[in-house]
Amino acid sequence: MTDTLLSVQNVSVQFKTATGLRQAVKDVSFDVAKGETLAVVGESGSGKSVTARVIMGMLAPNARVGEATKVVFDGDELTKFSELQMQDLRGRRIAMIFQEPLTSLNPLYRIGDQVGEIIKAHHKISKADLEARVLRLLEEVRLPDPKARLRQYPHELSGGQRQRVMIAMALANNPDLLIADEPTTALDVTVQAEILALLRDLQKSHNMGMVLITHDLSVVRAVSDNVVVMRHGEVVERGATQTIFETPSHAYTQHLISSEPKGEPSPVPEAAPPLMVAENARVEFTLKQGGMFSRATTQLVAVNDVSVTVRKGETVGIVGESGSGKTTFGMSVIGLGQKQNGPVTFDGDRIEHLDRQALRPYRPRIQVVFQDPFSSLNPRMIIRQILEEGLIVNGIGATASERLALIKQALDDVQMPHDALDRFPHEFSGGQRQRLAIARAIVLKPEFILLDEPTSALDLSIQAQIIELLRDLRDRFNLSYLFISHDLKVVRALCHRVIVMKSGSVVEEGPTHEVLETPQTDYTRRLVRAAFDVVA
Amino acid sequence: MVDVTMNAEAANHVSLSYWQLVRKRFRANRYGMAGMIGCLIVLSCALFSGFLAPYGAQSKDKAALYSPPQTISIIAPEGGLTWPFVRGFDEEMDPVTYEFTFVPSDEKIAPLRLFVQGEPYTMLGIEFTTHLFGGQDGAKVHLLGTDGLGRDVLSRMLHGTKVTILMAVMVMAAACVIGTMVGVSSGYFGGTYDLIVQRGVEFVKSFPDLPLYLALVAVLPRRADAAAIFVMFAAILVLLRWADLARELRGKVVAIKSVDFVNAAVAVGASDGRIIRRHIIPNMSSHILVWATYTLPEIILLESFLSFLGVGVQLPMVSWGSMLNQARDIQALTAAPWLLAPVGMIVISVLAFNALGDGLRDAMDPYSND
Repeated sequence: MTDTLLSVQNVSVQFKTATGLRQAVKDVSFDVAKGETLAVVGESGSGKSVTARVIMGMLAPNARVGEATKVVFDGDELTKFSELQMQDLRGRRIAMIFQEPLTSLNPLYRIGDQVGEIIKAHHKISKADLEARVLRLLEEVRLPDPKARLRQYPHELSGGQRQRVMIAMALANNPDLLIADEPTTALDVTVQAEILALLRDLQKSHNMGMVLITHDLSVVRAVSDNVVVMRHGEVVERGATQTIFETPSHAYTQHLISSEPKGEPSPVPEAAPPLMVAENARVEFTLKQGGMFSRATTQLVAVNDVSVTVRKGETVGIVGESGSGKTTFGMSVIGLGQKQNGPVTFDGDRIEHLDRQALRPYRPRIQVVFQDPFSSLNPRMIIRQILEEGLIVNGIGATASERLALIKQALDDVQMPHDALDRFPHEFSGGQRQRLAIARAIVLKPEFILLDEPTSALDLSIQAQIIELLRDLRDRFNLSYLFISHDLKVVRALCHRVIVMKSGSVVEEGPTHEVLETPQTDYTRRLVRAAFDVVA
Repeated sequence: MVDVTMNAEAANHVSLSYWQLVRKRFRANRYGMAGMIGCLIVLSCALFSGFLAPYGAQSKDKAALYSPPQTISIIAPEGGLTWPFVRGFDEEMDPVTYEFTFVPSDEKIAPLRLFVQGEPYTMLGIEFTTHLFGGQDGAKVHLLGTDGLGRDVLSRMLHGTKVTILMAVMVMAAACVIGTMVGVSSGYFGGTYDLIVQRGVEFVKSFPDLPLYLALVAVLPRRADAAAIFVMFAAILVLLRWADLARELRGKVVAIKSVDFVNAAVAVGASDGRIIRRHIIPNMSSHILVWATYTLPEIILLESFLSFLGVGVQLPMVSWGSMLNQARDIQALTAAPWLLAPVGMIVISVLAFNALGDGLRDAMDPYSND
């Protein structure tokens, strides 16, 4: 590397917490050259975002930076800079893009003003010039209809469009270094690919150095020149992207690379009887509109005539972008959330008209696993209480010791240690929590489980394990799943049949391999491309 | 399976429950700890008032009307250190202004003694006669002076703590229970019930407080005994205090009932009652606790104020406010400023409870990270 732009040396960071000091980053060093893209890869909690914040000088107040820490940017040592000097540097020479485009724009300012502010903060510029420059930036990030966007507020833009605005803000002053902290994680798969392509092109045309922080290896392969792999705050491996992917030397890197969901579901016997049948499900929301004197309501059709049949031991996937109505449909089938009127038959019984009380006998047989394992476990209960609740309310297990035996069995089934019983949910990582949420469902010995994006809140390497676990449980207990996802990779590994939804309607359905290999509609083709090619 | 160790960010750190974490964070907060110690002192004054106070609330020392506070001295009149003692007063009348002046006299020395026998009092239903301190051989000691009837201000203040704190705790507890029940049910069940309840809350909140208190107190039967009036007075305060909590909790419940763990409980077939008891209320507990510590001092102030005006706690009960009632006219105030001593207690307890509330709120904030 001839022209080093940024050199990070021996970065160590500790956080002071109520339970003592916690080492977040330990002795991390790397260099970024002009025009180079360096990917920092690691699972959540590996310290990659903290490292980025050290470079920007934007750490939380309880962080303690180690003494040997040195950040050299273009010959200057940033660690010795005053806050005022850093302020001048940020946004002008070093820019950052954050993960969550929904919250990183100020909802009270127009897009044009927000992008313009970054320029005004560092340069004196006339009003007309400013507007011209902002417009050029918005064109550069390929925001459709940029002139109209200038006057719009953030809530009028979609997630992908907001991320484009964030990128425009980052580029506003032609920075030398761009730090992108999981820039695509919060976006829909199809949008992810576009944003990544945009970032890659802009990096080339501006000849910037870029630090790309991500947990998604497919992103790394598509965009970066070099890779640093982090784990528990330390660098475990570094090198050129090509080399790392072809010959990973560290066991952890090998594990990360091989952790993409693989395999195919074992076939269901032809004679398997249908277990859950929903026909012509339709869910409408009534939206109130107009003022006090011109009250009007409009019907928003969230789910429009969707039918699904899940046979015993079968897994049916429902895929679509966010907002396609897939979760609304799934929840309405099992009687959680919005009501719908189409007939739903479970094991021969009609259940769609039953109220909460009448549904109770069916609850242990129909279970659900939610998307976010951080909100689906009550933070004030220990694991034992969480798992026991279903047993108590359904009168399963006469005595406490009988129930305990069932709970321990369920923990074994999801491969969690028994000492988890007396712990609180916050002590577990995302993957472990999702295992516990699955344990809560299977402790009741259900026949049907609704899986609402059970892997999308998890790191990639953990996704694969959860898929493995779900497949294993299905085969052992002959379970039927309705699997909601936006990720076709996961769907391919788990589902027998797949239904593709868009704006509340079914656009395509069929056996998984048929739909994935010969997609009939543009929409499905786009989803397939996004899942398997990343950057188009 | 290698994967478990590979990915499970092993839970090897010390296992702390939420409340253990709160306790730990609270202990590190000096201001909060000082507040808690202050609260404990005030509460123990209320609990052990009979023991701590040298005299009963009603016992009169006819020889000392409007006697000023005595200072404890450890230097004997003839020089040198000695056991702590107080000096009695010689009363002299100014022949021109007819004003009484009190001059400490070296002849009337009353040595202080610990654990002296005195007036009987009951604690937990058992009768005791031992007091923490008093004068030797029954000599009278008035560390904070006496009022116009010769009653010991310190003793009355300690006895008043009992009434004031009892009132505050009763009102707080009752408002807490009503507010929680109304707020949680209204947020959880929603719909028309929620609409009606919240309009009810707004109705209560829109009353002008002070005139209403005065009007309601005026309705109380004057002939009833002091204890009955005390309870009715408390009931009136409760009536106007639960609304805040109900409204705050309703908002929080609306937010938390859409979180997935509540849906998960519905999915396993839990009843509404169980969900409220096991899932909703435990997640509200920190908010309720902080509300309680902030409400307590408010009620102390309100009770003092209304009793000062003479509409709250009635004779012969003593509370801080009703003691201040004696210092209402300017003459009494200039002649005997020590009658304002309960103000000190009020200030200390209000500051202490507020500090405790601040400390608890910081310690329970799930987003604070130090």
